[in-house]
Amino acid sequence: MSKRVGIVGAAVTPFKGRWAEKTYYDLAQWATREAVKDAQIHINDVEGAFYGIYNDIFERTAIPEHAIHGLCGMQNKFGIRISTGGATGAYTISAAHAYLAAGRFKTALVLGVEKSTDCFDFSSMTATPEVIKSIGWSADSFFEQAIGWTAADSYAEVVLAYMDRYPNDLKPEITAKISAQLSEHVKTNPFAQRQFDQVTADEVMNSRLVVYPFKELEICVYTEGAAALIMAEEETALAISKNTGKPVVWITGVGEANEHSFVGRNHKDMSRIMSDHYAAHRAYEMAGIKDPTKSVQIVELHDAFVHQLEISMAEFGLVPLGKADSLIEDGLMTPGGKYVVNPCGGLIYCGHAVGASNIMSAWSAREELIRRGMKIALVHGTGSTIAQFTACLILENQ
Amino acid sequence: MRKHNEKVIPDIYIPDVGSEVETVNGQKYLVANDAMYTFYKRTKGEFSPFFLALRDDKKVLGCKCRECGLVRVPPFLTHCPDCNFAPTELVEIDQVGVMNSTPPITYFASSLFADMAPYGRGRVILKGADTALSVNLYTTTGILVPGIIERGTEVKIVFRDERIGEVSDIFCVPTSELSPEQVAKKGLLESEIDWEHPQEPDISDVSSKDKAVFKKAFAKMRSVINEMNGNARARKDIASWKRDILVKSRGGQFGIFINDGNITLEDRGPDSPDFVIVSQDLRTLLDGLTYRGAITDMIITKKIWISKNKEFITVFKLDRMARSLARSKRASIMNSKV
Repeated sequence: MSKRVGIVGAAVTPFKGRWAEKTYYDLAQWATREAVKDAQIHINDVEGAFYGIYNDIFERTAIPEHAIHGLCGMQNKFGIRISTGGATGAYTISAAHAYLAAGRFKTALVLGVEKSTDCFDFSSMTATPEVIKSIGWSADSFFEQAIGWTAADSYAEVVLAYMDRYPNDLKPEITAKISAQLSEHVKTNPFAQRQFDQVTADEVMNSRLVVYPFKELEICVYTEGAAALIMAEEETALAISKNTGKPVVWITGVGEANEHSFVGRNHKDMSRIMSDHYAAHRAYEMAGIKDPTKSVQIVELHDAFVHQLEISMAEFGLVPLGKADSLIEDGLMTPGGKYVVNPCGGLIYCGHAVGASNIMSAWSAREELIRRGMKIALVHGTGSTIAQFTACLILENQ
Repeated sequence: MRKHNEKVIPDIYIPDVGSEVETVNGQKYLVANDAMYTFYKRTKGEFSPFFLALRDDKKVLGCKCRECGLVRVPPFLTHCPDCNFAPTELVEIDQVGVMNSTPPITYFASSLFADMAPYGRGRVILKGADTALSVNLYTTTGILVPGIIERGTEVKIVFRDERIGEVSDIFCVPTSELSPEQVAKKGLLESEIDWEHPQEPDISDVSSKDKAVFKKAFAKMRSVINEMNGNARARKDIASWKRDILVKSRGGQFGIFINDGNITLEDRGPDSPDFVIVSQDLRTLLDGLTYRGAITDMIITKKIWISKNKEFITVFKLDRMARSLARSKRASIMNSKV
């Protein structure tokens, strides 16, 4: 019988476009220090560490976790790194959950960190093209890298295929409204990269097309930062909770799925994000959720692109496929609506520090469940080419 | 796109050894030029027949499972995972197929792919194949914009004249832009295709109102171009750049000439333009040049057309000039207020 597992401490560093003041060593330790402080435990009480770091190129080193293990107070203890593209953070939480549920440890540190904008393009004298190029090395190296694969055009492939199938969904005015709304959400997140970057739907509509159909204000931003959770098995979690006075936020459902990297019969269906579908429904099943539309209240969703946010919400079963625009048209995610979606501002406004992003989302979901007195949140991470990796978590407020 | 006799990493991408100090909140931080590089002699292993067939024979290979018959292109594997790893065999595949879904178009590429942009990248299911091959997509009709290649569009594989055994040795164009002979030909070369006769939008139907609109917009455009030519920041945007552009619109046509920092507008267009811009209503292009919307967006959304795909970069420079001029004007207004 596996043990219940909960989150008893959480922290994020400020998410910024550039941290010239810090390396990933200090960012990692900073988030760890704050998470331990939040849980009111000693670092010596943490039995194992799970690192979410996406990309060796960003950190400019292979095995980037070795340097931070001792520096985060984990010397001579268990340490493992998870790297699953954009889904790294959610998968890292999933891995920690499995070890704790199995009784291997009583407590664990989940730490995500990324330092992306040290990458620099000396021909344009800006960071962004080099960050894009670095992520481009994630594409299939025999058949895709050489023909200009990028993260944006990869997600656009999925979105355009969805639009082939559902031409009346993902209307530009709706994606613009969602982006504008997320920019309002971020106002209350002091750790966000774009806390004061509020935009109107018109401004989104008029922003530059980067890769059709994505406009500049509908795309996540590259971020440097770290996020950490302290997770514990039931008995320990309850003891820590008693001490801190903060409720345990239980992880009652975990689900993952990785699709085929290539497309065609018996392969990936480009018009779907089946990884989102399977991962979410597996997490619902584990959590005993029969109808997510009646249970899920908060969604902290990996919004690499607004259009993908809409498709993901449909794959989660929270709106019908082909009618994702109902999120706005029927007021499902507008203020006072059925779902609170990305109260932290999401990856578009809080920022996308890849390995740390989903852990930041879990930090936000926990904060929001407690603050709003709500019961159930869904945390989501998607990644790799053509959105083929997903991990989902169901968080329940004690 | 890589070519023979080029460095694996072109020199222009490689910075000198050096460092600088960045000051944040009064504290100094050292920032160093750096790189993490590894060179490879990388085997193409089991993919070698596929790449050698592209390079040497202008053929496309796939692999067919001997048990379920599924044909995968490219030939990803020697054994089929769907049939408990039954063996597959290499088969030659047709060079015509249909798009599996609408391909994205990258307009603003990183430096690595800047010479390819704008480019489509999508997945074609070749006749007889069950899986999709990732390919670049182009059109012979002018600038590549959404709507030219969509889900279900029939496309033909075209081989680069110079091939190096990479997937970039091939790309696709719609079969509707080729002759029946070209569509039928195996190993069609890029040089066998007519790239010099793009399909210009029809602007022959001109009313007197169109002429009046043109006249007014043309006068304003001349004034804007003159302002650009006198603006140091805007001139910098076209340093070392030379283009003779023919601009056509309902009501008239004229020339814009760019020459290493100079930009001029002349009533008579060039006889041999580097490329053609068609702005059906000249006010659309004028909006772009006066920083009321990006000309690049106007092209992507088909309000403006250009005759050559690769001249998107020139249009981007025009956008930058518009921005430079607008910023200079704003700075000038701010200074006058101070």
